[in-house]
Amino acid sequence: MLKSWFLIGLLSVSTYLSRIFGVEFMAGREMSPSLRSYFNYVPIGIITALIIKQILVPSAGQLAISLPVLIGCLSAAVAIRIIKMFLPSVIIGVMIGWLVRYLLS
Amino acid sequence: MDDVKRTIKTGILEALPLAFAIAAYGLSYGVLATEADFSLAASVAMSLLVFSGAVQIVAVGMLASGASPASVLFTSILLNLRNLLYGAALAEGLAPAKKWRWLLSFGVSDEPFVLGSSRFKKYGPDPLYFGIVAGVFYLAWIISSLIGALVGNQADPQKWGLDLAFPITFAALLIPSLKEKPVIATALAAAVIAIGFEYFMPGNEFTIMITGVLAPLAGLYLKRRSLNA
Repeated sequence: MLKSWFLIGLLSVSTYLSRIFGVEFMAGREMSPSLRSYFNYVPIGIITALIIKQILVPSAGQLAISLPVLIGCLSAAVAIRIIKMFLPSVIIGVMIGWLVRYLLS
Repeated sequence: MDDVKRTIKTGILEALPLAFAIAAYGLSYGVLATEADFSLAASVAMSLLVFSGAVQIVAVGMLASGASPASVLFTSILLNLRNLLYGAALAEGLAPAKKWRWLLSFGVSDEPFVLGSSRFKKYGPDPLYFGIVAGVFYLAWIISSLIGALVGNQADPQKWGLDLAFPITFAALLIPSLKEKPVIATALAAAVIAIGFEYFMPGNEFTIMITGVLAPLAGLYLKRRSLNA
């Protein structure tokens, strides 16, 4: 529990520093377009890695694919493409993933 | 005085539609935070103090998958790099606020940047507008996080499939961004790198950090190639 609070404190400070540093010290400086693009692509890389880590589950030293997670993610992906609404797409994905888990159990 | 009132009204009206979208993410964050064993107080405190959807959702996602606090911190620093861009772009528009810039800077993130920068472009510097917009988003984020955490605390995660919410939330966050080729290349490279790391070292905690550093290089390569073509 103490670890969570310590981490919250560190995340608060580091996030605020990134904000104030931009406003106070980066103003008027020309940043290379490549660096700008790199910064913008970082969240895409991290989010993709997080999805992969949840789909591939280590089991006895080997990797197994979690079908409920995979099918739930694909369903949410299709749903958000069609209905373009975040929360309903997440709910659809969770319900389908839950159904797959129920059918496989 | 009328100008102040008009700015406040405009800020609230323009922020409201996005505030609902932010609230949807806040609800998800609240549920996910309880899944990562955060108490109700810690879940809400994180929203009060950090106020960053990307950092908070990724942090609880990583913690739930067993990552260490050090790797969560490193990944959040990577995610926060884009705040430098936002802050630099907003600095001129916030300059009249003088010492209040320290407070307004807390609101520098994706959505306030979008509204703030387009307002500054049309009407020039307007710290009050930025403060109103960031304030509306902050309230939406805190209230929705609290509701999400309350729901997460009440429900049995396995029974309701809430444990599936992590990857599915990330998928729903990722898909709308996949429009340009460099972004798609980044996501594909990230998938290949992450699968490779997990294949050779199942369950290791460096996958996310290393993927976060390396995958954007693929997008960057494609972007530069298209510019040079």
